[in-house]
Amino acid sequence: MLRQMLAALAAVVAASAPAQAAWKSYINRELGFSFMAPGEVKTSVGTFRGAIAGPRQTIVYRSVENNIEYKVTVMSFIQAQAEGATLLGEREYMFQDGKGKKVLVDTFARVEPGKDAVYGRKIVVDLPGDKARSTGAFYFTKGRLISLEATVLAANGDFASPDPGRFIDSIVFVLSRTEPGAIELETPKLE
Amino acid sequence: MRVSALATLIGAVLAVTAAPAMAAWRSYISHPLGFAFAAPGELKVEKGAYRGAVAGARDALIYRFVADDIEYKAVVIDMNDKANDAATLLGEAEYNFQSGKKVLMDTFGRVDRQYGRKLTIDLPNNSGRASAAFYFINGRIISLQATVLPANGDYDTPDMGRFVDSITFFTVRAEDDAIELPMPAK
Repeated sequence: MLRQMLAALAAVVAASAPAQAAWKSYINRELGFSFMAPGEVKTSVGTFRGAIAGPRQTIVYRSVENNIEYKVTVMSFIQAQAEGATLLGEREYMFQDGKGKKVLVDTFARVEPGKDAVYGRKIVVDLPGDKARSTGAFYFTKGRLISLEATVLAANGDFASPDPGRFIDSIVFVLSRTEPGAIELETPKLE
Repeated sequence: MRVSALATLIGAVLAVTAAPAMAAWRSYISHPLGFAFAAPGELKVEKGAYRGAVAGARDALIYRFVADDIEYKAVVIDMNDKANDAATLLGEAEYNFQSGKKVLMDTFGRVDRQYGRKLTIDLPNNSGRASAAFYFINGRIISLQATVLPANGDYDTPDMGRFVDSITFFTVRAEDDAIELPMPAK
């Protein structure tokens, strides 16, 4: 009898927990990075405008899972690589700037060891009205500004979820370190 | 009446002589390097060294001043051969500055369309407090660093901020009477 009750309780608990989507590894060899994300990653083209960067087309890889939005955005600055530090700074600044945003974390980020290191920053902000929390990581390498953003939406509500950190920290630039079997991402053509 | 006036005068003289001598701030400019700043004290030009895992070993050009037990340094590191790694080279320099120290401030620096960072750290073993700004422009890391030494002890002095925030990359914004910084002999 006790065994049956425990089995029934376990079934109820399992059914009430949110479905956990499998995390998969994704790679884009042309753009030189890989990352991990849950859910179905879709590719699109977006836009960005910065006072220094100017208007830019962006490549966006995006998935939504359990009311957390995961987004990788790539901008090309092949002709302005020597301005990378300022372009990166502007992107980071814009991420945390805005009325009602509250910066919770703003710290160094480093991917890859030693001479292969790529330095950037990790920033966590509460969005206006405390309705969502967004975690971003920003890097500029090989002429491209690559940002990873994970936003826990109000419908999820678990703003301390470890999933944004897992996503942000999954970025790899030395592709030999990518997990075997990573899914190849397409690179959309920009105008 | 005369006695009280004399006492006031003596008091004023004592107050002035007891206060630390305030060195005059002057404006400096380097047209070849494309920046200007203001600092107190006597200018000395020195050569230094910088090393980073990504940057490798580099020579550094240092414009150094000391006034009232505060050391002011403008450090220029030529990275022209690796300028395409600007963001990482700047990030590495910022990281090295604060690595192993107690960070009191780490925030955006924005000057004349250049984004960098400003950091304040306490040095180990109560050996002082340093504020610095880091920028990457024209293939060079340019860093202004002010260190309040224990002999000064006023770790909240506004002079650190005055120095770090005096940098400009639009040289037309420099003071008209700015002194041209010497370039080291090749």
